[in-house]
Amino acid sequence: MSPLKNLTLFILFLTSFLFAFADRIVLPVWLQVAGRLHPVLLHLPIGIIVLAVFLLMLRSQFKAKQFRKLMSYCLVIAALTASLTAFFGLLLSVGGDYGEALQRHKVSGLILGWLSYVVLVFYQSSSEIKALKRGGIVLLFALLIFVGHTGSVLTHGENFVLAPLQTSQSVALQDTSLYQLAVKPILDKKCFSCHNDLKAKGKFVMTSMEKFIQGGESGAAFISGNPDSSRMIQYIQLPLEHDNHMPPDGKPQLSQFEINLLHAWVKSGAAFEKKISDYNPVDTLVLLANTVTAKLPDANTDYTFKPASADLVKNLNTPFRTIFPLYTNSPALQADFFVKEYFKIEALKELNKIKEQLVALNLSKMPVRDDDLSLLSAFNNLEILNLNFTAITGSGLSNLKTCTKLKSVSLSGTKVTVESLKPILELPAIQTLYIWNTSIGETHKLELERAHPKIRFIHTLFKDESILALSKPILVNEGVLKKNDLIQLKHTLPGVTIRYTLDGPAPDSINGTPYHEPIQITETVRLRAIACKDGWYCSNVFESTIYKEGVNPLQVELLSPPDKQYPGEGAGSLTDGRKGFVDIFKEPAWLGFRDNNFEAGFDFGDNPPTLTKFVVSYADNLGAYIFPPTEIQIWAGTNKNKLVLIHTEKFTEPKTYRTPQMSFISLMLPPSKHSYYKVVAKPITKLPAWHSGKGQKGWLFVDEVFFY
Amino acid sequence: MSKEFTDHRFHLTRRHFLGKLSLGIGSAALGSLLIPDLFLKSESPLTSPGLPHFAPKAKRVIYLFQNGAPSQLESFDYKPLLNKMTGEELPASIRMGQRLTGMTSGQSKFPLVGSSFTFNQYGNSGAWVSELFPNIAKVVDDICFIKTMHTEAINHDPALTFMQTGAQQGNRPSMGSWLSYGLGSENKNLPAFCVLLSRGRGNGQGVYSKLWTNGFLDSVHQGVQFSSSEERVLYLKDPEGRDRADRRNMLDQLAQLNDLNYKEFGDPEIKARVQQYEMAYRMQTAVPDLTDLTKEPDNIIKMYGSDCLVPGTYAANCLLARKLSEAGVRFVQLYHQGWDQHGNMVGEMPLQAQDTDRATAALIMDLKQRGLLDETLVIWGTEFGRTNYCQGNLSKENYGRDHHPRCYTMWMAGGGVKAGTTYGETDEFGYNIARDPVHVNDFHATVLHLMGLNHEHLTYKHLGRYYRLTDVAGKLVPGLLA
Repeated sequence: MSPLKNLTLFILFLTSFLFAFADRIVLPVWLQVAGRLHPVLLHLPIGIIVLAVFLLMLRSQFKAKQFRKLMSYCLVIAALTASLTAFFGLLLSVGGDYGEALQRHKVSGLILGWLSYVVLVFYQSSSEIKALKRGGIVLLFALLIFVGHTGSVLTHGENFVLAPLQTSQSVALQDTSLYQLAVKPILDKKCFSCHNDLKAKGKFVMTSMEKFIQGGESGAAFISGNPDSSRMIQYIQLPLEHDNHMPPDGKPQLSQFEINLLHAWVKSGAAFEKKISDYNPVDTLVLLANTVTAKLPDANTDYTFKPASADLVKNLNTPFRTIFPLYTNSPALQADFFVKEYFKIEALKELNKIKEQLVALNLSKMPVRDDDLSLLSAFNNLEILNLNFTAITGSGLSNLKTCTKLKSVSLSGTKVTVESLKPILELPAIQTLYIWNTSIGETHKLELERAHPKIRFIHTLFKDESILALSKPILVNEGVLKKNDLIQLKHTLPGVTIRYTLDGPAPDSINGTPYHEPIQITETVRLRAIACKDGWYCSNVFESTIYKEGVNPLQVELLSPPDKQYPGEGAGSLTDGRKGFVDIFKEPAWLGFRDNNFEAGFDFGDNPPTLTKFVVSYADNLGAYIFPPTEIQIWAGTNKNKLVLIHTEKFTEPKTYRTPQMSFISLMLPPSKHSYYKVVAKPITKLPAWHSGKGQKGWLFVDEVFFY
Repeated sequence: MSKEFTDHRFHLTRRHFLGKLSLGIGSAALGSLLIPDLFLKSESPLTSPGLPHFAPKAKRVIYLFQNGAPSQLESFDYKPLLNKMTGEELPASIRMGQRLTGMTSGQSKFPLVGSSFTFNQYGNSGAWVSELFPNIAKVVDDICFIKTMHTEAINHDPALTFMQTGAQQGNRPSMGSWLSYGLGSENKNLPAFCVLLSRGRGNGQGVYSKLWTNGFLDSVHQGVQFSSSEERVLYLKDPEGRDRADRRNMLDQLAQLNDLNYKEFGDPEIKARVQQYEMAYRMQTAVPDLTDLTKEPDNIIKMYGSDCLVPGTYAANCLLARKLSEAGVRFVQLYHQGWDQHGNMVGEMPLQAQDTDRATAALIMDLKQRGLLDETLVIWGTEFGRTNYCQGNLSKENYGRDHHPRCYTMWMAGGGVKAGTTYGETDEFGYNIARDPVHVNDFHATVLHLMGLNHEHLTYKHLGRYYRLTDVAGKLVPGLLA
């Protein structure tokens, strides 16, 4: 035991010596490490001294001799660890700026070390004054509590334990400064523990306003309005491993949100006393502060009036009049009216029951007249009023004089005049006025702006004198026209002239037939149409092939099978009046051919009509290997077995890729009556050299054929 | 003998058992004092849906979704370095071995390619916009560009689904459904969530109804798809020879029958169906007025371009979106297809831009001059970006770009958005994010915030746990807020 006692004494002397010359110590690095063990080591003397007190209380459980031995061991370890802790603590204190709180901890810690040694020696002495021996242990315990407390002030800040009891007092929020509500709580949590009057790291104190503004040893902490040059804002944004990063690595860090808030606070002038209501409600700082604590009222919506009863609000709601609070638990209400066919002026009168609470009213497009505005004069908390496209002329606006909170009034699309605006311009809170699409001209608007610089006037925003092209005319009926169907064209803009040609050159503003009524056609044609109107350029040409139902054969048969992948619905696909799409191949409208020619027979019976024209409609989608036919032959006769070639035509192959489209070939036949016709169309056998599939076979896709 | 002792210890009497038990229960009871909501009913512990949680900045959303991924490098993210380095290999230090799609992972070379369209700065904000979007360039001071969107998916379907529902797999409620659920409907005569589709002239990708699904939410929150034909809402007209009284009578009878069924089975879907019938009845009055675009004044038609009179075009959808939004529709979702320029960037990008640029800018101006832009959030977005290197052959005339999830541009305008700003920055190669990334979940959290909703509190319990649009992620991006 005695080597341990000696070691204790040695440490105590060493510590006392260093204490005396603390300001002249130069620590080697490895001793700095020892110093940093202080916060770990200090738990040992605490535990052991507390154990000694417990042993003292339980002494009747032990035999006297045993007890003395036990207590001796306990006190030896207590003295050794206490003095070692004091020594490490002293090492840690070197180079730190801790201020007055540290001095108290240092002195009391050293005394604790000595006292533990004295108590030990006294306990082991032959003195018979047991009360004094026990008293020494209790005294040691009392001093321990004091030392522990002074130490905790250093790490956790002052009043750490009792703080939760003291901050629960409520404050009137709108009378409190934004700093108190949103900024200080962050600093309190993350900064004050090291930058207070007692412990001023970097000689920087943040707890008092004056010292905070004054800054620390390296200068001012912030420059109002300029966060990016402010030391404090720079330091908190440095990477964690940077030496100057605040709070230091290991301490609780600021969240990105808190950094943003501090940044915004400095940017907006770093005011300590400024109330929330004094800020612009859309200031980033206020918005951030709003999200940090729900308690913080939006200065914008700080309503003091009482809410209407929930039942009343519920009962006022109809499908055509919606009324609801601005947000959960807000007393302020907004009302919207919908569907003008159902609007009744009584519905507006009923809002008198919530005249206190109504802050936003939307009557847009309702048939509200000037007289009706007198109903609004009771809404003295109204802030936003939308009267766009109502029937008012402005004479009723004087009724709004009592709506002293009005901030925004929308009058777009009404007949208001510049004179009638006067009562609104004089409203104390007015900020924005919407006067687009009224009789108020651009020059009036400029005058208004000059006379009322604080009010925002929103007028016509779209000023483009350039002339635009109209959209193309629209073909109303799609697909194949039946026998009695007419071509119908239209355009959605009133006052447009449509001109068209059938199988002719593109129409323009002078040439082409003006469209007045639906067009009668007898066979498949290429329709081209444009739309023109004064003040616009004519549209691009609308182009479409209009397929007209022809003479239907009694029977159709395929004489060669289509490819298995694209069988359509067999021969029926050719005359079902259903058009395919140029980029959707697997559908019933299409018959696809590659290895075979397209060969089909058409039986017109014993009493055939005179036929003069044949039309085949096919897909032209070269990228998908679908080409026009290379040759078409038409055979005719009395039946399938007695046919003569009556027409043949070859077609040149395309020279390059082109936009996929539906296409058709129209062949004039020598006028004749035959019972049976056979049509042969040949797919391309070798794709041309410019094609990515050159040399391969191409496809022929046919959806409809027509005889006229 | 010792065995008997041991056994005895195991034989607790009832008195002992209860005595010990009281300790355990007592300690649990004491502990529960510190957990106030431990025994609350297991409904959502948070605010009830139907109202914003706090004062909203915007009341309605119009979401202009550019489906297929328009190239950020040909639209808003100006990267002059790519023009200088066109043809040179993408440095490995920039690519960092990040994953590519199957369409270009086999390429032996990754030649950088610059935009063949010129860029200029516009507005007081000095935002860079390509020559393809001259009209959007006029309204940049109302816009907040986000240059640093990034997503997790690299192919269209999962990326689209992620962007629109917060999850890459299907079946989660779409953003519009969440807002319909969270904020309710303003105008009870119209659906709270409407969907409008259009198709441009570029290479297209499909859209599917799972993008506007209500997922596990009540089916009244499902997006209602408007037709691209002349009749925008199908089957809304009464058949000839039937008058309104007939219809009313029929619905009343039907409701009685449905009510009987509800009493027997208690299926809430029956109630939802009755409500939908009633809304359809009211829509018969409300919709024809809305979808009739012929009553718009000439200067509005000119502003949107005359295509806005052709049903099913993007311009017509923008105009209709304004009318729906003006009438209180909470969420109008547009999808414009045709932005998938893997090749033929030079040919297709101008066509796509032509079809959308004018109407997009018109929508913003139109809302503004009616006083609606302050309370409407307009979003222009897509599912991901496009690569800074060329897909396929790089020729003097043409090039293509592959999918690029690591950075892309979106923008917002209107209610509560920091107008006239650009948030975030990509590196000079336009490949990675240099600062201020915005993840899809963060974006959702921010949109919900603008609508007055805390994304962590807008929840729905399904399959034993609470779901959110942002599920378990997402952080508000304060830099986007005014």
